[in-house]
Amino acid sequence: MNKLHWLGLAMLVPLGTGCQDLQDRTVQRQGLIYCSEGSPVTFNPQLDISGTTADAAAHQIYDRLLEFDSQTSKIVPALASSWLVSDDGLTYTLQLRKDVTFHSTEYFQPTRLFNADDVLFSINRWRLSTHPFHAVSGGTYPYFESLGLQEMVEEVNRINGYRVEIKLKKPDSSFLATLATDFSVMLSQEYADQLMAAGDPDSIDTLPIGTGPFKFERFRKNNYIRYQRHPDYWDGPAHQKHLIFDITPSSSMRLAKLITGECDVIAFPAQTELKVVEERPDLVLEEKPGLNVGFWAFNTNKPPFDDERVRRALAMAIDKNTLLDAVYFDSAVAAKGLIPPTSWAYDESQKEVHYNPVMARQLLDEANIPAGFSMDIWAMPVERAYNPNATKMAELIQSYLQRVGIRANIVSYEWATFRRLLRQGMHDSVLIGWSADNADPDNFYRPLLSCSAIASGTNRAGWCNPAYDDLIDEALRYTEEEIRQYYYQQANDILSAQMPLVPIAHAYRFQAYRRGITGLEINPFGGIRFAKVDKAMQ
Amino acid sequence: MPKSSFYEEEVYPSPMRQTWNEFQRNHIALGGLWCLVFFLLTSLVGPMLLPYGPLQQNTDALLLAPAWAANGDIEHLFGTDALGRDILTRVAHGCRITFGVSFILVILSMLVGCSIGAYAGMSRGIRSSVINHLLDAIMAIPTLLIAIIIVAILGTGLMNAMWAISLALIPQFIHQTRDIVRREFHKEYVTAARLDGAGNNRILFHSILPNMIEMLVVQGTMALSVAILDVSALGFLSLGAQSPSPELGAMLSDSLETAYVAPWSIALPGAAIFLMVLSINLVGDGLRTALKNRLTQ
Amino acid sequence: MLIYLGRRLNLLVITLLILCIASYILAFLVPGDPLINLSGNPSPSADQSAQLRLMYALDQGYVAGFWQYLKLTLAGNWGLSLTSQNPVFQDILQFLPASLELSFYAMLISLLVGLPLGIMAGLKHRKFADMGILSVSLMGFSVPVFWLALLLILIFALQWGMLPISGRLSLLYEVPHQSGFMLIDILLADISDKSAVLNDAIRHLVLPTLSLSIVTSALVIRLTRRSVINVMSSDYIKAAYAKGLSHAQVFWRHGMKNALLPIMPQLAMQFTVLLTNAMIIEVIFSWPGIGEWLIQAIYQRDFPAIRGGMLAVSSLVVIFTIAVDIIIRLIYPLSKRQFHAQV
Repeated sequence: MNKLHWLGLAMLVPLGTGCQDLQDRTVQRQGLIYCSEGSPVTFNPQLDISGTTADAAAHQIYDRLLEFDSQTSKIVPALASSWLVSDDGLTYTLQLRKDVTFHSTEYFQPTRLFNADDVLFSINRWRLSTHPFHAVSGGTYPYFESLGLQEMVEEVNRINGYRVEIKLKKPDSSFLATLATDFSVMLSQEYADQLMAAGDPDSIDTLPIGTGPFKFERFRKNNYIRYQRHPDYWDGPAHQKHLIFDITPSSSMRLAKLITGECDVIAFPAQTELKVVEERPDLVLEEKPGLNVGFWAFNTNKPPFDDERVRRALAMAIDKNTLLDAVYFDSAVAAKGLIPPTSWAYDESQKEVHYNPVMARQLLDEANIPAGFSMDIWAMPVERAYNPNATKMAELIQSYLQRVGIRANIVSYEWATFRRLLRQGMHDSVLIGWSADNADPDNFYRPLLSCSAIASGTNRAGWCNPAYDDLIDEALRYTEEEIRQYYYQQANDILSAQMPLVPIAHAYRFQAYRRGITGLEINPFGGIRFAKVDKAMQ
Repeated sequence: MPKSSFYEEEVYPSPMRQTWNEFQRNHIALGGLWCLVFFLLTSLVGPMLLPYGPLQQNTDALLLAPAWAANGDIEHLFGTDALGRDILTRVAHGCRITFGVSFILVILSMLVGCSIGAYAGMSRGIRSSVINHLLDAIMAIPTLLIAIIIVAILGTGLMNAMWAISLALIPQFIHQTRDIVRREFHKEYVTAARLDGAGNNRILFHSILPNMIEMLVVQGTMALSVAILDVSALGFLSLGAQSPSPELGAMLSDSLETAYVAPWSIALPGAAIFLMVLSINLVGDGLRTALKNRLTQ
Repeated sequence: MLIYLGRRLNLLVITLLILCIASYILAFLVPGDPLINLSGNPSPSADQSAQLRLMYALDQGYVAGFWQYLKLTLAGNWGLSLTSQNPVFQDILQFLPASLELSFYAMLISLLVGLPLGIMAGLKHRKFADMGILSVSLMGFSVPVFWLALLLILIFALQWGMLPISGRLSLLYEVPHQSGFMLIDILLADISDKSAVLNDAIRHLVLPTLSLSIVTSALVIRLTRRSVINVMSSDYIKAAYAKGLSHAQVFWRHGMKNALLPIMPQLAMQFTVLLTNAMIIEVIFSWPGIGEWLIQAIYQRDFPAIRGGMLAVSSLVVIFTIAVDIIIRLIYPLSKRQFHAQV
């Protein structure tokens, strides 16, 4: 260490740290800083499905009619205090809370409480292309469009000021879950009217007004978002007076800031850094199984992968436990089927294919696959929670396949190209996965393997089985979980026999924060919530 | 080497020899020279001796600690980075790029700068005055700032950064050469040559240039240290050499992502730049002192 | 003297003009429509386009166009940034003070550390202290500033957790922007926890200032030392000793002033070096200054911002240089043209 250095330090330290102990804790305690990974595109989650937008807006600024409980993933009341589903499953009647206030800010002062008009406005905005606000900020509502909800909803009626009726064209037992997702937020009609009158409708998504625990204060792109406590929040005011998102794209920088105490909570700690967080006594790493699944899908339109015996043989040829150790570093649970254990629809009894290279070879012989057969494994080029290192996994699978006499080539392209070629069905097999948007099991069964999902590009196996489609459609007709479970078990049986894809793992979600932060719960899906977070004095 | 000689002859060492003798007396500077030679060898033959390629990844040895640490491996003496690339190999290649590029830059700008400088030194009147004044203004701007501005215009990339830095280095050579030429032109030996009927060009190349070379070498070493710092700074800012390239500055900015988990991936490339610049500065300082001592003797 | 002043001002005007011309030409050289590069409006409607063409006199030849551009530039209309759509000039006004503040404190520290050490080394020429200080300064002068900053972060922030590493102030505090100089703004602001906020701001300043001032101190030491050595070996110092004056008397009455005055311009010039290094430091410490802003603009190929930032930074440096030149000449008329940093 050079001398100058110390001299310079000696001159500065008294200035800098002399009164460190006197630091006013009360000021520090009034706010929470969350280091997020990027700037949100908009402050209206209806318009964008990215997690960054959901984090920044869904649970901070807005509320939904219904909510998922973060522990049990069950649907619980939020702005709607109770709901009623008609026997035919077509009419939903929702009773609204009567004590909900909108944010009062510099740009908008509400004169009335939240009521049925706001619900109608919020739903009609994405539902009706004739709605005056439909085309504002681009006019695309990706989540609702991908589920075809515009067509699904017949009408939305106001029964009285605090009661709303939604009529569907056909029964859909996942509809309540849809109302509870991050994207189904409630906007203010009064604010919209005021903006329309002022000729500035775009502001509805950049200067947001909601009923959530925090009100929007200021946003500087790539810099910060500031929120303030909403003092009259219906569920009791947030514990923190201020909430600040410090936008820090580099994960190592986020970790560094967490260590120096500049952040209280950070988004997405990198896999390599998890150990650092665990080792430091002042930091906490929390993990929770996420609602996702990583899998190995076969292109069932390409021979010999159209033969279920080949698919089953390949599934038997690999040892999932090794993959879990080497790729997920034990931060995942082995997958039996599509549904992770946290969901109510998880089927404990589902038949699983076990590692059995001898049996695998026999099956291959039956299917006339000679030793030395060569196939491609496509490994996605990006990191995802459900598969942090697809290339590494592909290499491991490669070595397993070699033992049953199959030569595997690993293929990877740049991400955009990869997805385009995948959609065209150029692959033999692919390592990829899926993260759910809501707790309903339909969110796994339908997009991953239904016939209609081939066109939308989420069915990576290109597998279409009418019996399976009938089963998952039938399941949606009922609201009772036991009955739905019955249909899903039958669907699982088809999957186990046909093996269009090999489920590999359900990965954990991680959250790193400083010791002293309490009340932060990981949502298995959807945006982060800060309303009930406390920050203790250290 | 002792030479048997019957007669005591008086030996007058050449000026270069005198400077060298003077330089040798300064042990620190001599150490710097050895260090510099070491870096020169590293960048010339180092990459050939090492078993790995600079971009070769080894997924079984990610973020390996240096060999002397508890969990290190002798296969990778200085450890590996986040992609399992051998750091020693990358540093050796980095020295080659950073040092080599800087060296070429300095030679290039020296050639251009001296030509313009000599021309400016010999010209008189309004042209000279304009050049002088503009130079004054440009010399005041740090080279790195000029380089950043030029890169901003040309776009990022190692090639553009090279153009930028060599353009930024030229003014100081112009300035130096112009001053020397102007000063020397009034000395007696030049007048003598002129009386012999030599033209301006002949005087420049045969009389003044030999007297300038040592000054140019000193100036060149200074420029070299500046060039290395600037090349790596631009690499660090991702304005010069881009990410997978093992240029030392770009390597540093690469390893930022793993700064906390693998501090050695920051320490080594940085230390290489530091030692390289330090040894060049030592040599430059030593040369300048030696030159000054010789001239005042 | 007046002639000298006239010449300098003349030079100033000419240099600034050249910079303006360069920045104007830039709008035509870089890829994209010159109109977009000048105005920063990424997709002007036909109406706006016609209006902008008129505003920048694009259809009347380059000379008229430049004249128009010059007028707009002087009026503070520097176009909009392509990425943020903020007026470039306002952005620069907002970010520049942060850089100046950082450089100013670093300069102050460098002088406070560098001058005494340099003088000490000069007086003890060829003694142990001299060697020590000299080698330390040589190291400080050779170290790449970005590496130094990273090491300081690793040690002080990550290992010891003592100091923050990003920004000028914890985001929990909000200080209204008045002068742009954070410490002054805090003192001016009407907030409750002034001392806590001030303390936080100073803690944020420590590491960037330290990394900057180590390099600059080394330069200051070298300059001072050489000048002191030169002066102390001069004839009038010998004469002073011959008169029987003590060491202290000789140095304080004769040496000090004569050693420091000639290097004043060079010392002042270190500020421009510092400002450049500050640009790198800003990127590392996410310091919201002009350097980080300009480098972000370069990454995003935001030409209006690049043009504005380039013009602002280079004009600042040129104005500063010439101002220092004139001031030194005013207080120290003896100085000749040899002003350039020789380190």
